[in-house]
Amino acid sequence: MSRLEAKKPSLCKSEPLTSERVRATLCVLKGILTSSYGPSGRLKQVHSGFGGCVCTTSQSSALLSNLPVTHPILKILTTSMQNHVSCFRDCGLFTAILCCNLIENVQRTGLTPTTVTKLNQHLLSLCTSYLKSESCGCRILVDFSSPQTLLCLVRSIVTSKPACMLTREERDHLSALILRAFLLTIPENTKDRLILGNSIIVPLKGQRVLDSSVLPGILIEMSEIQLMKILPIKKSEAFKVALFCASLSGDFSDTGEGTMVVTYGVSLENAVLEQLLSLGRQLVSDHVDLVVCQKVIHPSLKQFLSMHRVIAIDRVGVALMEPLSKVTGTQPIGSIGSISPSSYGSVKDLCPAKFGFKHFLHLIPYEATICSLLLCNRNDTAWDELKLTCQTALHVLQLTIKEPCVLLGGGCTETHLAAYIRHKTCNEPESILKDDGCTQTELQLSTEAFCSALESVAGSLEHDGGEVLTDMKYGHFWSAHAEAPSIVNWPDLLSRCGCGLYNSQEELHWSFLKSTRHPFVPQTYLPHEATGSADNLTLDCFTAKLSGLQVAVETANLILDLSYVIEDKN
Amino acid sequence: MVMACRVINKRRHMGLQQLSSFAGTGRTFLGPVKSSKFIIDEECHESVLISSTIRLLESLDLTSAVGQLLNEAVQAQNNTYKTGTSTLLFLVGAWSSAAEECLHLGVPISVIVSVMSEGLNSCIKEVVSLQVPIYNVFDHLDSTKTFSGLETFNISLCPFLQIPSDTGLQKERDLNDVASPSLTTYSLSGIPVKSPKLFRRQTEVEADKNTLQNPQTLKNSLLASSHYRKSILIHSRHFNRTANNQWINKPDGFLEQHGAATPNTYRCNDLVELEMGLSHGDHNSMKLVDEAVRLQYQNASIQQGNCTMPFRFDISRIFTCCLPGVPETFSCVCPGFITVVSISNTTLIKELENQPVRVILIEGDLTENYRHLGFNKATNINTLLESMKIQQNSSEEVWTNYVLQVLIKFNVNLVLVQGNVSEHLIERCIHSKRLVIGSVNSTVMQAFAEASGAVQVTYITQVNENCVGNGIYVAFWRSIPSDVIDRINVITIVIKTEGINLVTVVLTSPVTAQMQTKEDRFWTCAYRLYHALREQKVFLGGGAVEFLCLSHLQILAGQSLSKRNHVCSGWLHNTSSWLASSLALYRPTVLNCLANGWHRYLSTLMYNTACCSSEFEASTFIQQHLQNARDSGSPSSYILNEYSKLNSGIFNPSISNKLEQIPSIYDIIIPKIEAWRRALDLVLLVLQTDSEIITGLGHTQLNSHETEGFLFL
Repeated sequence: MSRLEAKKPSLCKSEPLTSERVRATLCVLKGILTSSYGPSGRLKQVHSGFGGCVCTTSQSSALLSNLPVTHPILKILTTSMQNHVSCFRDCGLFTAILCCNLIENVQRTGLTPTTVTKLNQHLLSLCTSYLKSESCGCRILVDFSSPQTLLCLVRSIVTSKPACMLTREERDHLSALILRAFLLTIPENTKDRLILGNSIIVPLKGQRVLDSSVLPGILIEMSEIQLMKILPIKKSEAFKVALFCASLSGDFSDTGEGTMVVTYGVSLENAVLEQLLSLGRQLVSDHVDLVVCQKVIHPSLKQFLSMHRVIAIDRVGVALMEPLSKVTGTQPIGSIGSISPSSYGSVKDLCPAKFGFKHFLHLIPYEATICSLLLCNRNDTAWDELKLTCQTALHVLQLTIKEPCVLLGGGCTETHLAAYIRHKTCNEPESILKDDGCTQTELQLSTEAFCSALESVAGSLEHDGGEVLTDMKYGHFWSAHAEAPSIVNWPDLLSRCGCGLYNSQEELHWSFLKSTRHPFVPQTYLPHEATGSADNLTLDCFTAKLSGLQVAVETANLILDLSYVIEDKN
Repeated sequence: MVMACRVINKRRHMGLQQLSSFAGTGRTFLGPVKSSKFIIDEECHESVLISSTIRLLESLDLTSAVGQLLNEAVQAQNNTYKTGTSTLLFLVGAWSSAAEECLHLGVPISVIVSVMSEGLNSCIKEVVSLQVPIYNVFDHLDSTKTFSGLETFNISLCPFLQIPSDTGLQKERDLNDVASPSLTTYSLSGIPVKSPKLFRRQTEVEADKNTLQNPQTLKNSLLASSHYRKSILIHSRHFNRTANNQWINKPDGFLEQHGAATPNTYRCNDLVELEMGLSHGDHNSMKLVDEAVRLQYQNASIQQGNCTMPFRFDISRIFTCCLPGVPETFSCVCPGFITVVSISNTTLIKELENQPVRVILIEGDLTENYRHLGFNKATNINTLLESMKIQQNSSEEVWTNYVLQVLIKFNVNLVLVQGNVSEHLIERCIHSKRLVIGSVNSTVMQAFAEASGAVQVTYITQVNENCVGNGIYVAFWRSIPSDVIDRINVITIVIKTEGINLVTVVLTSPVTAQMQTKEDRFWTCAYRLYHALREQKVFLGGGAVEFLCLSHLQILAGQSLSKRNHVCSGWLHNTSSWLASSLALYRPTVLNCLANGWHRYLSTLMYNTACCSSEFEASTFIQQHLQNARDSGSPSSYILNEYSKLNSGIFNPSISNKLEQIPSIYDIIIPKIEAWRRALDLVLLVLQTDSEIITGLGHTQLNSHETEGFLFL
């Protein structure tokens, strides 16, 4: 019996942003994000409330994917942030905080969404063209002849994730390892196109961070007993490899729908096993030395192979298949029928290895761009965070190879950019105004909203109640003790700017970030020698930050422009 | 799905408070004297007796986020090192209180994090000076001296702060030190120390002795020794130990080495001494470990012949067999595999005795329906019978017959199976004089595979001549009188073969509830020795290391830092922040709080070991020592001096004329340091957490009073 129920009418809300609830939830979300930002950001314990694993994190990728938000506006926000994070892996919090700030600031100005959208677009393009231009004062070209810049970049990323729980020594060790792992993925000789390999992160939880290391080639984890069985490995010039993605377990799980009827006395299992053994015979006659299977190999086939001195390794898992096929130069074999000889590959050497309490078989390729990063950390939650951090850092290095420049970090790019935009719209407003037909006041309001949104992102780096300042020469970011006496000798109170490029002993003038100040021209054209000498800079990924800026402004525009939310209640 | 978010450190840091209250439950497990706890389940009235941190956490409700993290940290320590969990738990408690104290004093969180973390780092560097190298402990193993031979000991649980005795031997050592031609002064590990106090002229030694016997010190030491806490502990027995003095009685003496140009004061080249030091009062367990190591060593020497491979203690080849209901004195160590089988096997064992049998090793279950891991059975296959003939045998019967045929064909009388075995098969095998044992540990299987030449297989169909092992002997194991063993209604058998690298430790206890504890304690001792031998060095134990950390931190806190001290600002990750420049302001506070954690550790340790009647008393005692250490200028040399003085009995005149000596107490290094780090990591992780995000929680699931403090998205 079927029952029909009348459909409920859809629910339509106008001007969703004006609702008190939306504002409150946006505020909570912004609170979560800003409090997590930067190297001294606070951590969040994310868990289901029913026991089970607890994720302690301050990273956007872990936070955003775990936030099941309900309101459509928040969904737009988190989805676009997640998109950014999945493409660039870095600057997720920056993007999300900037977006929240923009929405908040623009609402306060009371400008119409159309005007704001247009003006924001203009301001954004001012930013991007400045960041991309030669004259940009917060961008450094990467010098690939020395590792210094790249190392600083990696170190900045590792430093900005406090939940990894690293000491200084551990952080330096790990930064160097990440960079080495990345360098191992660059092919030695390339013809026309550079194809990067990848680094496989091998978990080694419970060990000391300083025990982490990088090895070229692939590590296949196996139990000690399994490893004992394949030892000793006979020496050979090269090891011929067959790589299977099909299961060799001898089952027949895809019998399809319906029932199969077999005569008594016929054993399907034996039939399949016989097929497997004939496969084994072919492998032996083709002089294969190593059989690797993604899934399970039937014990009898394993026994057969080991009797013929063929090493058989099963259950390597899907994650290792692509690197394995790359390293050995084979195509994974998907059937247990006959194998064409062309599908075999080779490796240079095999050796057993032991790290911590785990045993591995180490596959050493001839020439490959695959390496294994053995990652150790004391506990699970810190290990998970460290893994995400390493992935981020490796990805950022890849992005940096494509676009060989970095931005100054530690809040300096934001404040510098804000100073530049303020100066630009104050001194040359004509170029924007003539296109859009906006008034000078509208432009000023909008600029103020935009720039203070940028500056508050920088200000979010401070979590301990310190005072944030900017200098009037470079437009960099500085922080100071909040309880400083009213008349102070700033140069003595401050030490270095956020990115570490300038120190306070220069003749500088400071102003509180919150206070209003006259627009000034921040110094453009970063001199090369200024950056070459500094070895402890805080740096950000250029591509990720640029994209973050764009995503933040566009998402904010989209959300500000929403006039109706229509919900299907059925 | 609604996400709730709760701010957890508005005024008081809830996470830290939770941590300290969880950690408080394990306080009595610190140190060598562990008071047992009964944990009672209110609902089903079951109770369990526990005396270790790991078992305690198994029984606690740790579903809160912080509880989960704590459990994770303790489990990780246990899985990696099998020791150090009580230290970890205690320090978590002590340091979470310390961190909370700092918050109260208004120290910014980032500063607490970096100063505490670097403070501990600095401690870890400092305690290197208390490392004792282990040299060739197996060289003297053939001598008659064994652990069990040393029946008499004055057991010092906390030597640094405890009753010493006098032998006069220590003075000789000092003299020998003076004779050392080397002018460089080294601490234990060869790192030069500032104060050359360890190497004094004889006159100075005498003078020093006099000064140290000032009334204040005496009073203190008397205080420490005259008050005992309520319980009389089995460990406080006094024994006579004269014949086995490790300092002089060795043929190729330690002292001779000292007379030569070796400036190291402490070193350990005697296995028994090492084991004594690592036993931490649990001599019964360590005695078993000692025997196990000796058996392994003997086996290795026989196997190797003249090959001089260094012997490695292989803990994976030690197997425990627990026999509850048997008096404690029957615990022992034997080569081979000892296991319990049902009484129905008696006749079978009698027949198998005194002859070599052939063995096969099955990796999985030995049942008809067992298939290897990863094999998916198709469910939609029906078997069609062609005629209406009634099947004579069930398929189980057919399979059993087949297994028996294989066993007969290869003349196999013993089957060791890692998984389960079909009951029916076991019975049929008993009838045909074949013994099948299920649930055999995988390392036991591996040991038999190596010793007998058998190859482990998954299915009985895989068996061929190459898979069968030879030369196995099965026998009754009669070390326990039959009337005792009959009472518990099992028979114990031993299975061995020549040269098998497997040692079974039989653990007995008349009280079933204590079986688990006994086994845990055995493994604790075994792992302690294992780690010590692996690292080839140990710490001076009994609180010496922690004491050095405490005094080191206090000294660090006292050092004033110039404002732009970059060594110090390097402690912060983020050097450009204002926090870096105001670090000097907060540093002493944080370091003192961290040091207080050590102080609590030491006083609890002393209180638990009954050195003092109250923690307060312990605390005053430690204060006094701290003052002395500070006055001496170099805490590490002070500790070294005290250590030897304790041994020579200057501190306690009351028993100074007894000719006995307190053996050194040792601690393992990496597991201990890692426990410290893990504890601090956990505290700092929780400290930095400001909110809890609960996914998948609806409004409805929270009561109205619980919704307070929650924000919903």
